Amino acid sequence: MNPFPFISNFQGDFVLQLVLADMTSTMDEVAANAAYHSVGRRVVAQPGKDIRVRKAGNEDFFPRTMKVDQSGLKAMDCLEILFVDPE
Amino acid sequence: MTVMDRSEWYDIARDTNWSPSFVREQEMFPPQMTGGFGLAREKWVGYDEPYKTSYPEYVRIQREKDAAAYSVKAALERNKLFETADAGWLSILKQHYGAIALGEYAAMSAEARMARFGLASGMRNMATFGMMDENRHTQLQLYFPHEHCNKDRQFDWAHKAYHTNEWAAIAARHTFDDLFLSRDATSIAVMLTFAFETGFTNMQFLGLAADAAEVGDYTFSSLISSIQTDESRHAQIGGPALQILVESGKKEEAEKLVYIGIARAWRLFSVLTGPAMDYYTPLSHRKQSFKEFMLEWIVGQFERSLIELGLDLPWYWEKMIAEFEYQHHAYHLGVWFWRPTVWWNPAAGMSPDDRDWLEEKYPGWNDTFGKCWDVIIDNVLAGRHEKTLPETLPIVCNMSQLPICAIPGNGWNVKDYPKEFEGRTYHFNSEIDRWIFETDPARYRGHMTIVDRLLAGHIQPPDLSGALKYMNLSPGECGDDAHKFAWAEAYRANPYAKKAA
Ligand SMILES: [Fe+2]
Ligand SMILES: [Fe+2]
Repeated sequence: MNPFPFISNFQGDFVLQLVLADMTSTMDEVAANAAYHSVGRRVVAQPGKDIRVRKAGNEDFFPRTMKVDQSGLKAMDCLEILFVDPE
Repeated sequence: MTVMDRSEWYDIARDTNWSPSFVREQEMFPPQMTGGFGLAREKWVGYDEPYKTSYPEYVRIQREKDAAAYSVKAALERNKLFETADAGWLSILKQHYGAIALGEYAAMSAEARMARFGLASGMRNMATFGMMDENRHTQLQLYFPHEHCNKDRQFDWAHKAYHTNEWAAIAARHTFDDLFLSRDATSIAVMLTFAFETGFTNMQFLGLAADAAEVGDYTFSSLISSIQTDESRHAQIGGPALQILVESGKKEEAEKLVYIGIARAWRLFSVLTGPAMDYYTPLSHRKQSFKEFMLEWIVGQFERSLIELGLDLPWYWEKMIAEFEYQHHAYHLGVWFWRPTVWWNPAAGMSPDDRDWLEEKYPGWNDTFGKCWDVIIDNVLAGRHEKTLPETLPIVCNMSQLPICAIPGNGWNVKDYPKEFEGRTYHFNSEIDRWIFETDPARYRGHMTIVDRLLAGHIQPPDLSGALKYMNLSPGECGDDAHKFAWAEAYRANPYAKKAA
């Protein structure tokens, strides 16, 4: 276990939240952990869409299987988590 | 014996300026305590306080005011307001007392600093009375809620809040420490009495007194009016100080203090007064929306007093006015969702009629904030109580100490405003909060937000139960929905449909 705390800015939510993942988590796992604190609490689920992760301010999403420790992200970076149409 | 009229002796009697011969000027008035950007004491001779009073007059009037406030309380103690008032109103009372009572005590200390270290004798004279005012305000606002403590532990937070690490208490302390507890006398005159009191508290107290009368809480109404008459007097300490600073070529320095003061005051008002006005106050008693109130008092009246003093409007003025549309809605949603972490019971203010009113006052509300509340309502109706509660902390702003939040739903514009300083990344709610930090990073750098404290292991176990313990919130004190979710029943048969425009 090598925890990766990050700031989740989840599409459609109203607040930034502290969310935990692991340095070995994939981006899909990061997205799922962020969704846990937003979707179904204040954000409606969007079945059929993918939930993707990008660094705040960037256009491009990280590849879904990329691990945190391959991404260059560091603890408490702010991540934007968005619903996108499946590729 | 005839007594001379005050006007015949006041100017001589209050002129307590002399040239020290046993100590150096610097020792009597250390610049660190006096402030004033290096202006010599002679420059302050022209300070002219608009409100003049003497000690005997002050004592006589204050005695009458105290007698009136306490006798209204005594007379109405049996009228069972506590049992009959709307739960939202009781929440306003609890929130107010906890956030304000000991803030008044801190303000007493600040007035005392002006009374001793103010560079103008008129300022020292006014602040001596101001110091006694704030002591009175503390005593009143500790005593009045005390009668309710045996029925409701949350009222105990009138005294308790500032002694805890509850997040709203941290935010209030951080703001008040910055604006007046850790400032010199001149800065206090500008930031506390001008920016905070003239700009915000004066009008806030007027509004609260009117609201209290409207809901039939005459005890609170008379208490607040009594306090407000003192505020409107000692809030006038700052204006003449600003005049001296502007005339002596210190306009820019003075403006910076004013701008910091307004920006910080705005944050506290949007988290406390915003939800109180637009959500906790029962719809039938709402006179104005918070936005209308801010536009009338801050943009209408306070803006004029800035201009009259020869000050430019803050660089962020338009940004702040834009925030009137949404910031307090976001804070309300945050306070309600994280409700176990506050010492009052947030009223959702979410009946279908409430939503129509919000849409009318804030066009687009249903497509933005309403989207989050739709999910909450579904969860309440389906009995998924755990989904109406948080399992993590919001990220809080390194300046305001309040959650970083903005518009959700279809207008989603939530954003972090980060700043690197000495190897640490700070997070801010807006460019305005970040700018305050940048004016003096060394002043602000050491503070740890509640999230920093969690990550540093101060909160154990690192979950909601640990956080509640860290914040000193005991069972029976943690907030919950003020109306026990009764408002949600209206949606069981009919999902909310926005009124046609
Ligand atoms: Fe006061
Ligand atoms: Fe005051």
